[in-house]
Amino acid sequence: MTRTRLGTALWYVRLSWFLGGVGLQRLAAYRLDFALGAGAFLVRVGVQTAVVGLVFRQVPAVGGWSYHEVLFLLGFSLLPRGLDHLFTDQLWELGRKLVQRGEFYRYLIRPVNPLFSLLSERFFHPDALGELVVGAALVTYAGTSLDLDLTATQWALAPLLVLCGALIHTAVKLFFASLSFWTVTSLPALYAASQVSEFAAYPLDIYHASLRALLTWVLPFAFTSYVPAVYLLSGDTALLGWLPVVTALSLLLALAVWRRGVNAYEMTGS
Amino acid sequence: MNVRAGRYVPFATGGLQSLLQYRSMFVVTGVTAAAGAAVTVFLWRAVYAGSPDGGTGPGGFTPAGITTYLLVAQVLQILHANRVDDEVAAEVYRGDVAVMLVRPVSYPLVRLFACLPVVAANAVLVGVPVLVLFSFLVPLTTPRPVDAALFAVSTALSVLIAFCVNLLTGMTGFVTTNTWGVRMVKQSVVAFFAGQLVPIALMPGPLAAVAHALPFRGMVDGPLTLLLGRYDGAGGAVAVLAQQAGWVAGLSVLCAVLWRAALGRLEVLGG
Repeated sequence: MTRTRLGTALWYVRLSWFLGGVGLQRLAAYRLDFALGAGAFLVRVGVQTAVVGLVFRQVPAVGGWSYHEVLFLLGFSLLPRGLDHLFTDQLWELGRKLVQRGEFYRYLIRPVNPLFSLLSERFFHPDALGELVVGAALVTYAGTSLDLDLTATQWALAPLLVLCGALIHTAVKLFFASLSFWTVTSLPALYAASQVSEFAAYPLDIYHASLRALLTWVLPFAFTSYVPAVYLLSGDTALLGWLPVVTALSLLLALAVWRRGVNAYEMTGS
Repeated sequence: MNVRAGRYVPFATGGLQSLLQYRSMFVVTGVTAAAGAAVTVFLWRAVYAGSPDGGTGPGGFTPAGITTYLLVAQVLQILHANRVDDEVAAEVYRGDVAVMLVRPVSYPLVRLFACLPVVAANAVLVGVPVLVLFSFLVPLTTPRPVDAALFAVSTALSVLIAFCVNLLTGMTGFVTTNTWGVRMVKQSVVAFFAGQLVPIALMPGPLAAVAHALPFRGMVDGPLTLLLGRYDGAGGAVAVLAQQAGWVAGLSVLCAVLWRAALGRLEVLGG
């Protein structure tokens, strides 16, 4: 069967649309689960916000950041995280058990890209809606309180910043999940990486220099929230130029590791 | 209910053996705890950055004092992460709990004995290294010997409170299948009201009142009040310990009652 590239792309789009719809059906089938999952994020972010509130009861600024600026950063950090969570959390399953239990082969025998096949098994994780809604609410509230007046360029770039951030989250997750092709299960590594991403919810300026370097250049979570938030709040573009570069490099590295892993799996698979 | 300890020793050794099969879990727990500690420690150190060395800032903490508080709070949290909540929830969910019911032992006590080696191993293999790591990075206060001893007793009680809280969380498996969401809510709420993220002394009146009325305070704020010597004479120290002991007793009764009620429900559902 020959298909043009455009035809293939359109076919994937149609397939995603359909499978996304199938994922939505879960919303109706497991309403309590959805409510608990989304509610859990609500509580977690609520607690995080309360902590920030209590910190700023003591001092007017932390590391040069005001209360509403930190809230803006906290809210913004949830947007790329939620967007990534919405579509790619099936990668956790890969890291956790798919290689361990020898179940991975089923993504190789389908007539679609194996990565697409894996992600599409559960294309829509409604829990993430909790993150996205809270993130948007915090950003709106903090932005209004700060009288934030974004320029046209900033408005135009904002969705791209969120998208790049989501792709960085995806790349890190894909990288660590793919390690399971060699280590059987990479859940510990995945979990540790997701824990490190929590740092991105607070201003980088408060951390030790070594930690700042780690979050910027090794596990580049700074580019998912700190760098975009600094740009939107102050127009400072010092690190912004690196954002597309870091996003592209992270994705390329993760995809390379994934591809090598898939090949390694074929070699050892029975 | 049979409470002869001898019957439960095999469960303790079994718990230890299954734990040692997943040694990488210690690394994860360590990284997680270190990351959590770093976030709160750096956040609050930025607040105390203006306070003079040796002088006290908000809540009567010195910069070293608040650092010690938050770091030890994180280590206590490692001791409280006994996995009872997800194991009980999973066993209830899969129906494995039925196997346990035909044995002449009490399931909650089996869980308690199985979790003690986890707590001990986490303390030695994760808690101590995290503490040592941070002692190189940030200044900490050294407690007086008497405070350290009181802290040890208080920590033992806090482990029991955490066990009861996690058992109750795990028992929600009888009601809902999404115990992941329930556990996440529990973790956030407990961490907050235990004083793990913000010392209760720094909370505004109404919030502090809520924290005082809840049992979670005995998990973190209680032991740290003793460790940092922030109590009022011998009476103050006894009051902290008595309150913890009271919650241990109360929560144990609650666990026992709810466990019986849940078993009744399990019979209805089982088939």
